[in-house]
Amino acid sequence: MINPTVVELSRLQFALTALYHFLFVPLTLGLSVLLAAMETVYVITGKPLYKEMTQFWGRLFGINFAIGVATGLTMEFEFGTNWSMYSHFVGDVFGTPLAIEGLMAFFMESTFVGLMFFGWERLSKPAHLAVTYLVALGSNLSALWILIANGFMQDPVGARFDPNTMRMEFTNFGALVFNDDAQAKFVHTTIAGFVTAAMFVMGVSAFYLLRRQHRGFAARSFRIAALFGLISSLAVVTLGDALGRLDYLLQRPKLAAIEGLWHTTTPPYAPEKIFAIPDDETQRDIVSIGVPYVLTPLVTHSWTTSIPGIDALERAAKPKIVKGIAAVTALEAYAKTKSPAALAAFRKYENDMGYGLLAERFAPEEDLNKIAKRDLPSIVNRTARATIPNVFVEFWSFRLMVALGFAFIVVFAFAAYWSLKNELEKHPWVLKVAMWSIPLPVLVCEYGWIVAEAGRQPWSVYGWLPTFTSASTHSVGYMVFSLLGFVTLYSAFIAAELYLMFKYARLGPGYRGTAAEAVAPPPAHGQPGYADRPWE
Amino acid sequence: MRNFIKIVALALVLALALCLAVIAGDYGPWYFAWLVGTAMIVLVAAAGAVLYEAQEGARGTTREE
Repeated sequence: MINPTVVELSRLQFALTALYHFLFVPLTLGLSVLLAAMETVYVITGKPLYKEMTQFWGRLFGINFAIGVATGLTMEFEFGTNWSMYSHFVGDVFGTPLAIEGLMAFFMESTFVGLMFFGWERLSKPAHLAVTYLVALGSNLSALWILIANGFMQDPVGARFDPNTMRMEFTNFGALVFNDDAQAKFVHTTIAGFVTAAMFVMGVSAFYLLRRQHRGFAARSFRIAALFGLISSLAVVTLGDALGRLDYLLQRPKLAAIEGLWHTTTPPYAPEKIFAIPDDETQRDIVSIGVPYVLTPLVTHSWTTSIPGIDALERAAKPKIVKGIAAVTALEAYAKTKSPAALAAFRKYENDMGYGLLAERFAPEEDLNKIAKRDLPSIVNRTARATIPNVFVEFWSFRLMVALGFAFIVVFAFAAYWSLKNELEKHPWVLKVAMWSIPLPVLVCEYGWIVAEAGRQPWSVYGWLPTFTSASTHSVGYMVFSLLGFVTLYSAFIAAELYLMFKYARLGPGYRGTAAEAVAPPPAHGQPGYADRPWE
Repeated sequence: MRNFIKIVALALVLALALCLAVIAGDYGPWYFAWLVGTAMIVLVAAAGAVLYEAQEGARGTTREE
C-alpha cells in the first residue's frame, strides 16, 4: 500500500528543493550571457573599464554559480531516493539527458568557469572572450538537457512502454531532443534568466548611481543591462504564448486550470479572467472579473474555436479511465502468466494505462482487481476529478507571473530610454524601481515553475505515470527528517548567498581592500580601499 | 598562405553555421530562434555600451570646444 502522506511529503520535498535551486539558476543563466556581452565590448573598444566590469559581475556570478551547483546536486539524487518507482519506470529515457547534462554541459561549464576566473593574465583577449562565451553556452546547455528531461515528463515522446520490463524504453532520441515542449520551455526559461540577470545588474548599478558611487561604471553597466533586459522581456512574452499554445494542444487540464475554465467556452465572447477566486471544492468561482473577447484568440489563435472546460475534460477522461483499468489488470495478468491473450488485452488499451494506474489510488486496497462492479462509476468519477490540477494555484501563479512579466517590460523600457538619453540621474524613481525590482524576476521564475509543474499534476509522466504511483516507500519519519534537513541546509545556502552578494556588491567594482572594510561606510573616491579609476 | 588558411577556416565556420541553421530551423525552430535571438540580444546590449562611449566622446568634444 502507498502511504499518501509519504507521497505528499516527497512532493513537498522535491518542490522545495527545486524552488530553492531555482532561486540561483536564472541568475547564472542570464549573467553568464551578460558577462559575454560586457567582455565583447572590452575586446571591441579595448577600454579597461569593461574588463573590470566583466570581472566585477563575474565575481557575483561566481558566488551564485557555486551555491547554485550545491543546491542542484541533491536534486538528481532525489529521483533515486524519493522517486524510485519513477526512476524505474522512465530511468532509461529520463536518465539519458540528465547524464548528458552532467557529462557534457556541466563539466564544460565548470572547466571554462575556472579558465574565465583565472585566465585573465594567461589568455589573449579573444581567447578569454571565447572562454566567457563557452561558459555562457555551457550554463545554457545545462538548462537545455534538464528541460529536455522535463519536456519528456510534460509530453512523453520518443519512448514506448515495454510490458516485459515494465518501463518506458527509447524509440527515438531525436524526438526527445526536439520535443516541442522542451524547445519552447528551454527558450522561455533561459530568456527569463536573461531578464533576471538584467534586472540584477540594473538594480545594483542603480544602487551605485543613487549613492553617487562608481558612476561611470554603473551608468555603463546599467545601459548594457537595460537593453539586454528590454529585448529579453519582450522575448519571454512571445515564448510564454508559445507554451500556452502547447498546453492548449497537449495538456488541456493544465490550460483549463490556468484560465479557471470550469465550463467549455463560447467563442468568441469568452472572457479572459483578470481576477477570480476559484474554489476547487465546488468547482466554481466565488468572484470573477474578466475581459470579454480576449481568451479565444489568445489561446486558440482563432475566433471560432471553443476551449474545453474542466467539466468536459472530466467527462472525456472517464472512458480513458475505464480502458486504463482494463489495461492495468491485463498487464498484471500478463506479468503473472505471460499469456499472449493478456498481452493482447493490454495492447488494446495500453495508451490509457496511466489512467488505470491513477484509479488505483481510489480502488479498494489500491488493487483494481478488487473493484466491485457497483463501485466502478464512483471510482471512475473520483479518478476523473483527480485528473484536474489545482485550479487556484495554477490560476494565481500564472497571473502573478504574467502581470510581473509585463511590468518588467515597462521598467526596462523606461530604464533603456533614460539611459540612452544619459538622463538617469535626473529620474531617480527609475533607479529606485530598478533597485527594488531585483528579487522580482526570481519570484516570477518560481511562479513559472509552479505553473508548469503543479499544472502537470496528477502525473509525473503526463498520461502515463501518476505522481501517486511514482514515490518510494519511505516512512513518514524518514521523509520529515530529510525534509527538515534539506530546508535547514538550503536556507543556510540562501543566507550565505545573500550575505556574499550584499557584501561584494557593497565592496563595489574598484575595491582592493579587506573584507572587514566592506561593511564600513564606503570610502570616498581617492581614499584607501579603492583603486584609482579615471572613469569615476 | 596564412590568409588562404584563414579564408578556408572562415568558410568552414560559415558552412557549419548554415548546416546548423538548416537543421535547427527544420527540426528545432525554437532552438534556432534562441541561437539567433541570444546573439542579437548580446549584440544590441554591446552596441548600447559602444554608443555610450560615442556619446561620452561627443560630450568631451563639445566641452573642449
